[in-house]
Amino acid sequence: MKLSENMNQVPVGPFHPLLEEAEYFNLTVEGETVVDIDLDIGWMHRGHEFISEQKTFTQSIFLVERICGICSTSHPLACVHAIEDVDNIEIPERAAYIRTLVGELERIHSHLLWLGLAGHFIGYDTLWMWAWKYREPVLQMFEIISGNRNHYGVMRVGGVSRDIDLDRVKELHKILDTVDAKIKMIAAAAPDDPVLKSRLVGVGVLTNQDAIDMCAVGPTSRASGVPWDVRKDEPTDAYGLVDFDVIVLQNGDVWDKLVVRLLETLESTKICRQCLDKLKTVKGPILNNVKEISAGEGIGRYEAPRGEVFHYVRTDGSNRAIRHKIRAPSYVNIPTYSASCKGIPIADALITLAAVDPCYCCTERALRVKGEDPDAIDFVKLSREKTERIRREIHGH
Amino acid sequence: MDRTDRTDDFLKKFEGKLTNVIRKPKRLYFVVDDKDIREVAQYIFRDMACRLSTATATEVYDAIEVLYQFSHDPSGCYFCPRVRIKDKKNPTMNSITPVVKGANWIEREMFDFWGVTFKDHPRPEPLLSRNHPNKLDKPLRFGRVS
Repeated sequence: MKLSENMNQVPVGPFHPLLEEAEYFNLTVEGETVVDIDLDIGWMHRGHEFISEQKTFTQSIFLVERICGICSTSHPLACVHAIEDVDNIEIPERAAYIRTLVGELERIHSHLLWLGLAGHFIGYDTLWMWAWKYREPVLQMFEIISGNRNHYGVMRVGGVSRDIDLDRVKELHKILDTVDAKIKMIAAAAPDDPVLKSRLVGVGVLTNQDAIDMCAVGPTSRASGVPWDVRKDEPTDAYGLVDFDVIVLQNGDVWDKLVVRLLETLESTKICRQCLDKLKTVKGPILNNVKEISAGEGIGRYEAPRGEVFHYVRTDGSNRAIRHKIRAPSYVNIPTYSASCKGIPIADALITLAAVDPCYCCTERALRVKGEDPDAIDFVKLSREKTERIRREIHGH
Repeated sequence: MDRTDRTDDFLKKFEGKLTNVIRKPKRLYFVVDDKDIREVAQYIFRDMACRLSTATATEVYDAIEVLYQFSHDPSGCYFCPRVRIKDKKNPTMNSITPVVKGANWIEREMFDFWGVTFKDHPRPEPLLSRNHPNKLDKPLRFGRVS
């Protein structure tokens, strides 16, 4: 964009104390109004797609689990869906409930995490402390289910890797009741809060048409009146067996994105309760024995907290994918900034940028530095050389 | 909400323009000629109101394949047009970004990693490797071309 006399550019990032990840926005402002935004990504070098194509299917599930610390169930779940789609593999009913339970718990903890961050970004730290305090029991539930607070290692092609026994189901029920009560308390208090309302209503609007044109997904598009949710559109696992509503609002502002997430959290607790009830009665295996995957193509997706996670695998009949494509929801939601940030005061830009719950480690899953190129920089080597240089400077030899 | 599967209507509409059709439950993969891709993409996106999930470039033994994955959300079906680019050294094809705005980043990524040049793309420049620490003289995933 050509700058006029009254315009200035405000760079934010790529490294800044406020930013959790490396990200760069170049805001063009006229006075205090944002008139243009340029996004620059590619600051993290990860190479997940390429590495996954060197791994077996089971190893890939562990690998993609590490794409994102928050969506650590969404990626493996979409990945196993894609592999299962090649041969239309079905999973046992009990496994379906376990998958859905873990997926929905992830949604609760992710939405609470975002809610806390949103409060923190607008200087409302009470909300931040509340949300993160009540997120803690959800992580304890994960610990009960998998032994880990994050990276649960539950998903497998054909089912799940671990069962949940009856005692633990009862324990989980108890914790869920506590979490549910607290979320209801926040959900009742937050929408009436004058501070939140005055700060978020009408801010950073993404219109319905822009959401459709830019192919936005998840709460970002549902807050703009786009009703799509993978859990309803293509109900895999136990989503066709449980009762829940898809939350859709119309205004497209940051406020609606907040309310969508809050109400979705309540729907998730509803789904979790149904899954736990079913785990008391539905018995049987948790994993179908899948011996091989034939040559073909498979599409797998899952409604992650931020929107649709998409995995595509192409197989040749061996035990690994010859092509594994991964698309995280932030990849399609981040470009919506060019619509939602224009025309707003610069003071509102930060919360508008945060409103899509962007995840840059997901978005930049593909780039790799070292590989076939023999001249590529080896960061480990550089780091060792630097340490050695400093050591020599200090010790003089 | 109309959740009808529109696969049959689509196949009828583009009869003669689609080859190598693979039909699976809720999945339709087909090869389409480069000159027709924009028309097909426009029909899928505008007339059928599908959403572009993403696109995938793959290197096969005789071509670079670009596969667009469109989701027809009401029915949960996927429509996947595939363009095969025979010239592996200078892969070029028509961009669909002029008709599907959401294809902007993914086409830039395929240009970035696979060297596919998209004609009429509004911003034909790398997406992820703009700030790469190395000076890149070839696309990052182009090394396997024999």
